[in-house]
Amino acid sequence: MMDVIASTLAQSGWPEAMPAPTLAHYLFVSVAMFAIGLVGFLTRRNLIIMFLCTELMFQAAGIALVAFGRYHLDYNGQTFVIFVVTVAAAEAALALALVVLLFRKRESLSADEWAEMRG
Amino acid sequence: MGVADRTLRSQGRPLLNAIINPIALYLLIALAGVGVCLALPRKGPSPQALGGLLAAAGFGGLVLALTLWANESGAIPNPYFYVFGLVALGAGLRVVTHPRPVYAALYFILVVLASAGLLLILSAEFMAFAMIIVYAGAILITYLFVIMLATQAPSEDMIDALADYDRQSREPVGAAVAGFVLLAAMTTLLFRGIGPTEAGDHAPGHGAPALVAKNDASADAALLLRLPGKVETELRELGLMEHDEALVRDASGALMLDPVAREAVVVEPDGTTRVVSWPEGELNVQNIEGLGFNLLDEHPGSIEIAGVILLMAMLGAVVLSRKQVEMDEEAKARQARRLSAELQATAVERRS
Repeated sequence: MMDVIASTLAQSGWPEAMPAPTLAHYLFVSVAMFAIGLVGFLTRRNLIIMFLCTELMFQAAGIALVAFGRYHLDYNGQTFVIFVVTVAAAEAALALALVVLLFRKRESLSADEWAEMRG
Repeated sequence: MGVADRTLRSQGRPLLNAIINPIALYLLIALAGVGVCLALPRKGPSPQALGGLLAAAGFGGLVLALTLWANESGAIPNPYFYVFGLVALGAGLRVVTHPRPVYAALYFILVVLASAGLLLILSAEFMAFAMIIVYAGAILITYLFVIMLATQAPSEDMIDALADYDRQSREPVGAAVAGFVLLAAMTTLLFRGIGPTEAGDHAPGHGAPALVAKNDASADAALLLRLPGKVETELRELGLMEHDEALVRDASGALMLDPVAREAVVVEPDGTTRVVSWPEGELNVQNIEGLGFNLLDEHPGSIEIAGVILLMAMLGAVVLSRKQVEMDEEAKARQARRLSAELQATAVERRS
C-alpha cells in the first residue's frame, strides 16, 4: 500500500512541485461556487438568504473574471469585477429595502408571501 | 505490491485517465449533489452532518481529479490555492445550508475572505482588498442590519425558535439536480475543452492551460511611459538620479524611456544628458497602477454609469424604506393573536 502511495506521489513529483497554478483550477472553484449559490437560491425560502446566494454567484463570477484576466494578462477582467461589485451593492441596497418593506407589511421573510402580489 | 507498482508505472497515463474519466467525474459530482441535498435544512431529523461529509468528499475528489489531470501538463497550483479554494467552497455550502440567516451571512464573510485570498494568488491585490472592504465591510453589514431588523422571536421564551420558512427548504432534490447538472456540464467543458470550433483548431483537451508567469514585465512595462513621477522617485531612491536632475521628454512630449531595455534619458542642471539604466526587477508596474489606468483610461463612461446606478439605488432605497406601510388584515390578526398569547402566558405565570 505504502509503495503505491509513494510511487504515486513520486510520479506526481509531489514534494518539490509547486509551479504555476492553472486556469482550470480557478474556473472549477468558480463553477462549483456558482452551482452552490444556484442550489441555495432555488431551495431557500428566506428572502435574505436568497439574496445572499445571488451574492455568492456574483463572487463566483468575479473569481472567473479575474482568473481569465490573469490568463490573458489583461486588466479588463478586474475592471469588470469593479463594476460587478458596484451593481451588487446597488442590488443589495434596493433588495434589502424591499425586504424591510415586505416584513413591515406581512411580518414574514418568506418568499412565498410575494406570490400574492400582482398588478 | 510489486505488481501493482509496475502496473501503475507502466500504465501511468491510463490510470490518470481512468480516475478522471467521465463516469468517475459524474459520480463525484453526483456525490457532492447528494451531499448538498442532504445538508439542506428540512423538517424532522436532518442528516446535515452526513450531507456535509458527502459534499466535502465529492468536492475534494473533484479538486483531486483536477490536480491529477493538470499534473499531466506539469502544472500544479500552489498549496494556498487549495486552502482558500476549499475554505471558500465549504463556507459557501454553509451559507446555503445554515438555517439561521445571521450565521449564513457570517459564513458569507468567510467566503469573501477566502476568495480574496484566491484573488491575491492571482496577483489582483487591489480587487482582493476592495472585495474585503466593500463586501465584508459594507454589503454584509447591511445584510446583518436587515436580518436583525426583520427577524423577531415570536415570544421571549422562544428566542431560539426558527421561522417555518427557515426550517424547511423548497424542493431540495430538484434544485440540487439543476445546480449539479450545470456543474457537470461546465466541469466537462473544463476537462475536455469545447473541441474545435473552427476547422484547424486544436481541441484544448490535453493538459490544463497554465496561468502565465507571475511577473511578466513586458506586458505592463509600457505603462512606465505614463508614470513619470513614479519613475523619477524610484530612480532617485535607487541612487541612479540626483535631486537636481530631471527626465527628458522628446519633441512630442513623450518620455525618453525604454521600458523593455530598462533605460531612461536624464538631463543634468547644466544641460548635459546621460542615459540611466536600472537593474532588472526594479521599477515594476503595480497591479493598482495598471488597474487604475485601465479603469480611468478605457472605461470613463462606465464609471459615470456606475455612479448613476449607485445614486438611483440610494434614492430608491430611501424612498422605499420611508414609505409607511399599513399592515394588512392577516398580519394584524397574527399580531393580535401573538399579543393575547403573551398576555395569557404572563397571567398563567402570575397565577402559579
